Amino acid sequence: MKGYLQIHDPLKPKGSVVGIDLGTTNSLVAAVIDGKPTCLPADEGDGKLLPSVVHYAENGSVVVGKYAAQLLPHFPTDTIKSVKRFMGKSLGDLETKKLGAYQFATGKGVVRFQVKGGQPVTPIEVSGEILRQLKRKAESYFAGKVEQAVITVPAYFDDAQRQATRDAGRLAGLEVLRLLNEPTAAALAYGLDKGVQGLYAVYDLGGGTFDISILELVDGVFQVKSVGGDSALGGDDFDRAIVQKVLEARGITEPSHAQVASLLQLACGAKERLTDEDSVSFDFEGAPFVVSRADFNAWIQPLLAKTGQSVRRAIKDAGLTVDQVKGVVLVGGSTRVPAVRAFVAELFGKPALFDIDPDQVVALGAAIQADLLTNESRKDEVLLLDVIPLSLGLETMGGVAEKLIPRNSAIPIAQAQVFTTFQDGQTGMDIHVVQGERELVADNRSLARFRLTGIPPMAAGMGRVQVIFKVDADGILSVAAKEETTGVEQKITVKPSHGLTDEEIEQMLLDSIDHAEDDMQRRMLAEQRVEAERLLMDGAKQLKENGDLLSADERKAFELQLARLTEITKTETNHEVLKAAITEVDELARPFVGRIMDRAIGKAAVGHRMEDF
Amino acid sequence: MTHFELFSLEPSVDLDVAALEAQHRKLAMESHPDRVSGSDPHTRRLAAEKSAALNDAIKVLKDPVRRAFYVLELKGVKLDSDQAAAKVKMPMDFLEEIMEQREALEAVKATRKLESAHAMAVQIRLARDRTLELAQQALRRDEVETASTALGRVRYYTRFLEEVDAFEEELQS
Repeated sequence: MKGYLQIHDPLKPKGSVVGIDLGTTNSLVAAVIDGKPTCLPADEGDGKLLPSVVHYAENGSVVVGKYAAQLLPHFPTDTIKSVKRFMGKSLGDLETKKLGAYQFATGKGVVRFQVKGGQPVTPIEVSGEILRQLKRKAESYFAGKVEQAVITVPAYFDDAQRQATRDAGRLAGLEVLRLLNEPTAAALAYGLDKGVQGLYAVYDLGGGTFDISILELVDGVFQVKSVGGDSALGGDDFDRAIVQKVLEARGITEPSHAQVASLLQLACGAKERLTDEDSVSFDFEGAPFVVSRADFNAWIQPLLAKTGQSVRRAIKDAGLTVDQVKGVVLVGGSTRVPAVRAFVAELFGKPALFDIDPDQVVALGAAIQADLLTNESRKDEVLLLDVIPLSLGLETMGGVAEKLIPRNSAIPIAQAQVFTTFQDGQTGMDIHVVQGERELVADNRSLARFRLTGIPPMAAGMGRVQVIFKVDADGILSVAAKEETTGVEQKITVKPSHGLTDEEIEQMLLDSIDHAEDDMQRRMLAEQRVEAERLLMDGAKQLKENGDLLSADERKAFELQLARLTEITKTETNHEVLKAAITEVDELARPFVGRIMDRAIGKAAVGHRMEDF
Repeated sequence: MTHFELFSLEPSVDLDVAALEAQHRKLAMESHPDRVSGSDPHTRRLAAEKSAALNDAIKVLKDPVRRAFYVLELKGVKLDSDQAAAKVKMPMDFLEEIMEQREALEAVKATRKLESAHAMAVQIRLARDRTLELAQQALRRDEVETASTALGRVRYYTRFLEEVDAFEEELQS
């Protein structure tokens, strides 16, 4: 294995460090190897993009990645896709129908998906599974431990979404060195790799989130001037725009879960093909649906206009005008869409840069930051200075939000606020922290409510409590309080409005350690089952279509093998036994595959497997 | 330590912002928590505090309006809250004028006409810049009372401009 020697490197006692792009659609893991940031294999078959899809099977096993994606159409409620859009959200936040076919467990606070095979799972746990898979793949690449990571988040993620991401890292057994804003990560990759200097914009349109960042790169300091965006706008919405049109055209007003799931997949494929083709067609329920690029461009125009508004606001917040921006960098898979590129070029009056693979650039930047944070010899090279994306405020009289730390303030930052008692002998005080730009508390996002207790009884107005709000370099808020006249430290119990408490995370962590070995076995078994089922499906199909290529005896032998595999798939609990059975059937099918191939293209097939046809 | 002291500067309304930003980058390089990410929690906390102080200082010093308020504060007059500002007596005619303008803005907001609000903002910005200039001159000459009244006006103008910005965002969201 390539990274074998690195486990003996005395400078890295804690194992290797990685950068992780935990994306809506795909996730990646990267590391700096021999001084060069590189994306590592992340999925079975060594693909670098791990589809951010998690399947929960009846037997309690969990499958992540492309295998899970294959199961999605068959198990739409037990297979979670685009979980990032649920991070830090509660049920009331969501246009739930819009986001897929899920069933939710009722209850307050954080969203819980009702899936097969056990308790309902939170988005934090689902993301934790994705991170665990990436950690595992990186560990097998390095043949050593990986315990520290930089994980990227959209710049526009609020406090609850950031907390949820950090908690997911903890659940996966990773020490999160830093939550890094995705556009900043991209800028880091461009700045170090392409020597970019000056004022730049990063336009980052992913599967489910949109970010715009304005940065200045001078003397090794990457200073974010402003950020903006929409944490619920991305390529998924392009797919939905197509789905919407299909449903309208077919007069379907109340589509079933299965219809939505299959249409979303068809729409995504159509969108991708429209990058190179002027017009595409796909089959839905037996009839073709045609989309031209011009149609598609028109359908997504309102979404692009929304990104334009965020861009203009971010430029204004940075105190700049658009012509002062030297260049614009494209990040995220959705920037492959030609209409997006054209829109950005027009908005900035200059063509956009995309020399680094827009799917990989964020993970590469995260790997660089992970290396900078842990590699003593690189410490003086670069510094990232980021900002808080949304204003932090407090609820005041009449439900009005008073801004305490305005958006685009550089982090880390600390802000003190003094509260006075308004009743004689008052010993406690309630404080409600909100995030957002709106005037009324109800229009902003509730982050936390907490109670200050232990104020010594005094006359009204005499008790003065100083509360210090701190935002760390990850963009996460913490609170400390002190009674000013007595200096008594106040106890604060923060009740997160949308997250899990530390105790809940702790418990989940304990559970997962207890079951780590089981989970591993179950996961490998689940993967082999997927493999076996696919083989069985292909086998049956080929027997039906090309069965005449086999002699009666051969056919009988093959059918017997398939029947045996069907049985083993159902009952076997040891993944190695199942794997051996699959290999056996595959070997037996080899000559059959050869003959099918001959028939199909008149050439001998060498080394192909049945599923290739 | 004052914001000026953090940058080893004498308190002044006149600053070379480009030089200030270059120095901020240099200091940030030395004190950001990322520089000590492998150290003990105490060292990391000190770095975070130093960094937060620097970020606070640069925010105030690089903006001419905030800087003027801060210089005045160092001279003993704090205008950063409604309560504090109420202690500075504003001329009656100015208060009447600003009241009228705010009423006009409310009317424009009711009709949701962003252009009209922008046109008003242009006028107010001009008035604010002129008044800031007066305040700066007064601060240079150490005329605290004149500076207080001028900055008291600037405070009203700034509020007005913030309201126009908030209105614009409200319209877009």
